[in-house]
Amino acid sequence: MRELDGMLSRRTVLIAGAAAVASSNLHLAEAARADNSLIYAQSVPVTHLGPDYGAFLRYPAGYEVGYVLFDRLVGFDDSLKIHPALAERWEVAPDGKSTTFFLRRNALFHDGTPVSAAAVKFNIDRMLDPKRNTTNQPIWSPIAGADALDDWTVRIRTKEPYALLLNTLAHGSGAIVSPAAIEKNGDDSMALHPVGAGPYMLESFNPGQEVVLKAFASYWDGRPKLDKIVFRYVPEPSTRIAALKTGSVDLIDAVPAHLVESIKQDTALEVLTKPGLRPMGLAMLTTRPPFDDVRVRRALNHAIPVATIAEKVFFGYAHASDSPLAFNTSGHKSVGSYAYDAKRASSLLAEAGFARGADGTLARNGQPFVMRLLASDGLFPGDLQTAEIAARSFEALGIKVTLNKIEAAAYWDYLRVPEANVAWDLAIFGFNPSNGAGSYHLDALFHSNPPGSDKPAAWNIVRYSNSEVDRLIDEAKTTVDPAKYDELLGKAQEIIWNDAPYVWLQVNDIISGARKEVRDLRVWPIVFTIVRDAHY
Amino acid sequence: MLRFIAARVLRIVPILAGVVTIVFLIFQLVPGDPAVLMAGPMATEEQIAALRHAVGLDQPVYLQYWHHLAGLFTGNFGYSLTYKGSPLGEILARLPATLALAATAISLTVFLGIPAGILAALNRDRAADYAISFSVVALLAMPNFWLGLVLISVFSVDLGWLPSFGFEGWRSVIMPALALAARLIALVARLTRGVMIEELRKDYVRTARAKGLPFRTVVLRHVLRNALIPTMTVIGLQIGYLLGGSIVIERLFAWPGIGDLLINAVGLRDYNLIEAITVLFTVCFLLINLLVDILYIAVNPRLRHA
Repeated sequence: MRELDGMLSRRTVLIAGAAAVASSNLHLAEAARADNSLIYAQSVPVTHLGPDYGAFLRYPAGYEVGYVLFDRLVGFDDSLKIHPALAERWEVAPDGKSTTFFLRRNALFHDGTPVSAAAVKFNIDRMLDPKRNTTNQPIWSPIAGADALDDWTVRIRTKEPYALLLNTLAHGSGAIVSPAAIEKNGDDSMALHPVGAGPYMLESFNPGQEVVLKAFASYWDGRPKLDKIVFRYVPEPSTRIAALKTGSVDLIDAVPAHLVESIKQDTALEVLTKPGLRPMGLAMLTTRPPFDDVRVRRALNHAIPVATIAEKVFFGYAHASDSPLAFNTSGHKSVGSYAYDAKRASSLLAEAGFARGADGTLARNGQPFVMRLLASDGLFPGDLQTAEIAARSFEALGIKVTLNKIEAAAYWDYLRVPEANVAWDLAIFGFNPSNGAGSYHLDALFHSNPPGSDKPAAWNIVRYSNSEVDRLIDEAKTTVDPAKYDELLGKAQEIIWNDAPYVWLQVNDIISGARKEVRDLRVWPIVFTIVRDAHY
Repeated sequence: MLRFIAARVLRIVPILAGVVTIVFLIFQLVPGDPAVLMAGPMATEEQIAALRHAVGLDQPVYLQYWHHLAGLFTGNFGYSLTYKGSPLGEILARLPATLALAATAISLTVFLGIPAGILAALNRDRAADYAISFSVVALLAMPNFWLGLVLISVFSVDLGWLPSFGFEGWRSVIMPALALAARLIALVARLTRGVMIEELRKDYVRTARAKGLPFRTVVLRHVLRNALIPTMTVIGLQIGYLLGGSIVIERLFAWPGIGDLLINAVGLRDYNLIEAITVLFTVCFLLINLLVDILYIAVNPRLRHA
């Protein structure tokens, strides 16, 4: 090495450099546990931490932080059943139009002020204001108001008996914030400076990158077990998995089904799954022939190998639907199945008057069976692959299918449009009821659209209209008796399932990954990985 | 020289106006409504209308265009739906991270690419040359996303030497910068090699050696300077690639920079944020090109009296 005479030889430099890097090896795995903290890498950035105005942007990452920062009057458990939280117990009035909540006396906000009835009333009033509560208004609008009966008792009144009052109060938007903090820091201060009554309080917030929470020693249920929880934004699934493997994070969310194996192979890691709340399906425009014929719709349901899709496209991390509702939605009832049966499909189509021509295409009265199938790209898990399998399956029946693929962000523009402008016959779609409630889901998707309306009021993009279903849903919404609620919804699900306004597909699992040392992590069906109770 | 610089700086303004116009036209043509995306699935018409009003989408098109154009001069880029305020704050907060990544990438290009090219040229048609030329082709063929994944897999998961994501100290910048710069390093090495071989053939080299100068001095003092001229130009021109490539790399490594900000903004159709970033990128690109041109003239005396 003539050029480097008199200097360190190149080899020496390289070896010394490698040694320096290796010796200061990052023992991050130990560090996370040494300071008793949990690091959670999320797939979506958190930009807003208040239940108001922007409401925990973005979904679901902000909500996951919210469930740790804030307490609510009542809470969900893993199967979305209700249990007491800031309220010790509650009583429903005989007429069902009000519920009285008895608060626990020792709950404090992070700023030391007590969670009194006045504080709760302050919160309810705020969330009833549509200007403050923009995102979650639909689940709050049936509530009329709140009254503080004494220091520790709050009565919440509803316009009609409201079946989902407790679901709404347990929802992320039911977070109880400190009135004192709002007075001091401003009406929209919760976005960046949240002050709640949850087990962990805010230490620092870098919007879009990181949230650091620390233990709240005066939490009413005792000091939480971790000292710190850090939420970090890591958009790329492969990077999240790599970080989990190296131990630089302890928990990750949104593991794609095809990457689960790489986590399972690592003995230090475990996979957490839960069936989600979003049943996927192909929405059919039921007012446009031939999709107005129930036999055609049922035929299409028999034409798709849903169970095989769940196995192959989602590696078993999905389950064929057995109802218009997902398994964990309240009021769910297993009402049927459309077995994969191409012969049955063909015979149903024949009953509807279709016959295969010489070239194999189906036609009725000289009109060929033509279908425009709309698929999003990357908006729902496996949307494109599923749509392609569906298109092939329909073509095998003799239907002429045109598959249109739409980029994720643009897809919404095609769905809730006036009927004359609907540019599809079938469109892939899934709805996620954010409060886990069956009546909310059925109401949004299958309640008749108001007469004379141009666009669907909520998400009845299939234009389904059945007066019996309407009656059942309306009654369920105002039923506070859980058994009656389930019964009404069960009947509605049966009718809808048999009417088949959708080609029912699957319910996907929510998959998270964690290091085995972490205990008491929860995965909720509403796409949330909950770290409130986690510890080592 | 000063007139030259002034003329170039003045040209930035009409170019920016053109960029804003093109971006505005693209916004009009691309499907996807930011208010709908922001408001969520259960929003009412009023809520969507309110959001549209906040971003100014309810105004007539020509008025919106005028606001965008005027915003260039006043620095008012409107209201960002995702960050609920002026987009500038978030951009400025993330600028250091992207600058650190870009600076490291350029340093790697200069300190790895140029020596590699020189080495290859000096050892032409021998083992070192073949090895380097092979590496150049390999690096050019590799997609930087894939290279990044491989780097994470080897240096983070298997060896545990470097952090797999985020910006926490100097160790964090190595892999992202390498993945980003790989292509540039290869280009610069190849170019340097070619130019050096050209120069080494020239008469002045033979004269210098005949004078008795050691080969090392000939290379470093005479040949290199001539060889660096086209190399510098290429590096300057590739800045645009760095800005674009940073989007992919920042996403992969969860690097808190402007590239990641941009890709999220596009997914959510946050037009004002997208436009602010595009303007910023354009200004950077133009200024860096100006800098390269100035350096070019400074380094090459032959151009001074052109």
